[in-house]
Amino acid sequence: MRDEISLAVRIRSDISHIWRYEPRVAEVLTALILIPVVAAIVVALVPRSRKELHLPLGIALSVIPLALAGYLFWVFEPQVDMQFTEFAMLYEPWGITWNVGMDGISMPMVILTTILVPIALAASTSITKRTKEFVVYTLLLEAGMIGVFVSLDLFVFFVFFEAILIPMYFIIGVWGSERRVYAAMKFFIYTAFGSALMLAGIIALAAMHLDQFGAPAFNLADLLALDISAGAERWLFAAFALAFAIKVPLFPLHTWLPDAHVEAPTAGSILLAGVLLKLGTYGLLRFNLLLFPQASVDAVWIMGILAVVGIIYGAVVAIVQPDLKKLVAYSSVSHLGFIVLGTFALTSGGLQGAVIQNFNHGLTTGALFLLVGMIYERRHTKKIEDFGGLQKVMPIYAGFFLFMIFASIGLPGLNGFVGEFLVLIGSFSTLPVLAIIAASGVILAAIYLLWAYERVFTGVPDKEENKVLSDLSVREISLLAPLAALVLLLGLYPNILLDKIAPSTEAVLDYVEATTDYQVPEPGRLADVFVASGEDE
Amino acid sequence: MITPEISWIAIFPELLLALGAAGVLLVEVQWKPDKSVLGTIAAGSVVFAAAFTVLQWVDASDAVEAGAVGDLVAFSGMVLMDGMAIFGRFVILAVTGFGIMAGWRYIESLGRRSAEAIALVLLASAGFSIMVASNNLVMMFLGLEVGSIALYVLAGMSRERVRSDEAAIKYFLLGSFASAVFIYGVALLYAGTGQFEVLAIRQFLSDTLLLSPAVALIGTALVIVGLGFKVSAAPFHSWAPDVYQGAPSGLVGYMAAIAKIAGFVAIARILLTGLSEFELNWLPIVAGIAALSMLLGSMVALVQGDVRRMLAYSGVAHAGFIMTGVVGASTSGILFYLAVYALQLVGAFAVVSAVSGPANAGSEIDDYRGLSTRSPMLALSFAVILLGMAGLPLTSGFIAKFGVFASAWSTGYEWLVIVAVLASVIAFAFYLRIIVVMFMTDDEGDDLPVPGTLRWVLGVAVVTTIVWGVLPGSLLRAATDALPL
Repeated sequence: MRDEISLAVRIRSDISHIWRYEPRVAEVLTALILIPVVAAIVVALVPRSRKELHLPLGIALSVIPLALAGYLFWVFEPQVDMQFTEFAMLYEPWGITWNVGMDGISMPMVILTTILVPIALAASTSITKRTKEFVVYTLLLEAGMIGVFVSLDLFVFFVFFEAILIPMYFIIGVWGSERRVYAAMKFFIYTAFGSALMLAGIIALAAMHLDQFGAPAFNLADLLALDISAGAERWLFAAFALAFAIKVPLFPLHTWLPDAHVEAPTAGSILLAGVLLKLGTYGLLRFNLLLFPQASVDAVWIMGILAVVGIIYGAVVAIVQPDLKKLVAYSSVSHLGFIVLGTFALTSGGLQGAVIQNFNHGLTTGALFLLVGMIYERRHTKKIEDFGGLQKVMPIYAGFFLFMIFASIGLPGLNGFVGEFLVLIGSFSTLPVLAIIAASGVILAAIYLLWAYERVFTGVPDKEENKVLSDLSVREISLLAPLAALVLLLGLYPNILLDKIAPSTEAVLDYVEATTDYQVPEPGRLADVFVASGEDE
Repeated sequence: MITPEISWIAIFPELLLALGAAGVLLVEVQWKPDKSVLGTIAAGSVVFAAAFTVLQWVDASDAVEAGAVGDLVAFSGMVLMDGMAIFGRFVILAVTGFGIMAGWRYIESLGRRSAEAIALVLLASAGFSIMVASNNLVMMFLGLEVGSIALYVLAGMSRERVRSDEAAIKYFLLGSFASAVFIYGVALLYAGTGQFEVLAIRQFLSDTLLLSPAVALIGTALVIVGLGFKVSAAPFHSWAPDVYQGAPSGLVGYMAAIAKIAGFVAIARILLTGLSEFELNWLPIVAGIAALSMLLGSMVALVQGDVRRMLAYSGVAHAGFIMTGVVGASTSGILFYLAVYALQLVGAFAVVSAVSGPANAGSEIDDYRGLSTRSPMLALSFAVILLGMAGLPLTSGFIAKFGVFASAWSTGYEWLVIVAVLASVIAFAFYLRIIVVMFMTDDEGDDLPVPGTLRWVLGVAVVTTIVWGVLPGSLLRAATDALPL
């Protein structure tokens, strides 16, 4: 607390600090949450009649958090401790604190959020109805998503976790396609149901802290000191896991996802698949493993099996989807299974793979939804059978599509490979059977994605409507290019991210080892070689 | 014989309200002035009463600090000036003020009878206000009756509407029956303990070991039933939907809110203070009522086609949620919940009355189609209020729910909390249904003007919902300080 000198005071004391100033203890994360809120208010103040201003203004303002997040990535040190932490008591009698911070697990997610929001906004030029509200909801959604990833106080985490349902609900429900209301409702009720039980779990934890330490607390660090009986731990694990599993979504709780994706507008799909689903995998990693380590170790097989069923099921169902968007949606079910498998493999490779796959899946799936949205704007259909031979008419589009498909399949050299490979290696040492089955998911991914590509892009364009389609415009290319560049960069040099992730995932493993009798088997830690460059220094 | 001490200060707010009611009627008879004069008189009495309540609050906290809790008892133990009484009274006064504002358009439309309506509102508030401050159970009954009878009449104010008559008769018959049950319970409590005063009952029960507590226990049960009716907790809720639907739309919010506030403060006072020794006996009953109210209210609300009936059933669910706070023995949780819910209720019915129009037509859910294009601010306000009622985070409703759930959990009623969170999810569905209709249907209709007074009510409801959702500290502290004696 003592070094929480406000930014202003520091600048006054020595002006030269501005440039060397590291916002280590300043309110930088609070600012990162508040900037989108302020941006939303600014956009809301623009009169309804100035329709043409809302979207550009929103895009311009959403670049600010991106720049700030980029800066945070730059100064982020590969270390175990939480960084940019802030701490303040919000309401003493209940023990609610404003405690935010960033570590290697949350940092990629914050970056991903700030990258995808401007892209999602920029991809929404086709939205003509109530543009102002759309931009406002998207910016509020961004604030909530950042809030979820940086909150270390369970109460505040829950507030953000639940609050983001509202803007997403509106985005799907107002700007979606025909069955949007049904999809929005299903999305809301499903996820609210999961988080309701988590709320009971959070209350239980606070009550336990009250029993054991004389005051309620919601702070993660305080709650880690709890002595939870084995039975209670299992129930609490289940409550939290259910909330996160619905969000992921883990088989068999996934049925809301295809509906939500198909009905959502492009921006909604990008943010839903890119960020919202990751709240689940992030929560499992951040809260379930740390708060309930013994229950997590006990549940390794259950979660692993559910994950693998999801991988295979999602892939198999994706094969037969007639709708491009639904296909990508089911591919998400499959890919997120890898993340859960990696998390519960409880090895270095598994955890690192899970975190980086969180990031990578956001990039590739975000890009795929963006691409589907682009063709939908041209043809107003997403049915695979309505296309064919697009390669000839839209070569650039086809190129990007193929590139992202390869990234999604996990072609070496592109980003998808890194995460899935790490997860498979990592889980092989603890859950070998599941790892072997999961590996077939990669092959299935190749089947459904390449088959879809073949049907949409190859051959001769036989339908009249398809022959006159225009290729990507400069604007569209400029949306896809940054994503493609990141896909390539992370494929060729994943250590740029892995170095910063590894200390945090190792800390989680150390904690699980220290609090349970679980030991990571020897080869499980071998995956350290992937972070060698970071540790050699 | 001892002459009871008279301390007017203790009941000054009620006196002001009663004077206001009398004043409105007299002025109307004598001068037949413009409606705004009547409104000013009413507003004056409410505002002065509220200001005086603030002074009482300061006095009470001083007395508590000085340890002179005896100063908080007035009229030889009839009336209390403790934190809970003053907090409850203040909320009642706030709801009265906003209720009159929300119903102003309706009151104006009554013509010559508008003075009656205003006077009835003030009398109802005076009655319920004395009810929350009563220590003596007979006094409490008197307050309850003064308030209830005024509400019965208000429910039937629109004589020309059949629904209104039906509502009034139903409310009157069932309400009188509930009052009778309540007073019978009071009588049995007296028979069992020999005391009328809540504090004396507590004293008696902690000093004496009742060998056969059956009479007192039956009394307890009857008191719970009687008050459960007033707060529309299941299974005593059957009047609520019809009354909410039939009563004049501008005033329903007020009527519903005020009965809930007074009823729950009375429940908290009797059960948590007076009968805390019987805790093991009444806790399961109250928990059962809470669970039933939450589940039944939420589920039945799902299938309602009329927004007012939906809000009535949501009120049943809310009664259940507040009962959870009674189970958790958390007066602060109950008071916080009452304060935020009462304002939301008044705000919600303000929207209903704006949509129904001066004709006080129906409030079918289809009337709300495309409200977000017809009247964006109205739709947005309603959405915020509904999300607040649903208890979504960043609204005051979430903090309120969290408070009562947490208290119930720490008294060992884990199952009730789990029922409560599941019921909240069910409740999301019907709140969202209204939002869907308002925002996600493109039905174009006529633009809907919002009268000036309604704007203020909505503004307050929306601002408090958000502000106390983001920064609940101030109200939480006040609710925590508002301890019963």
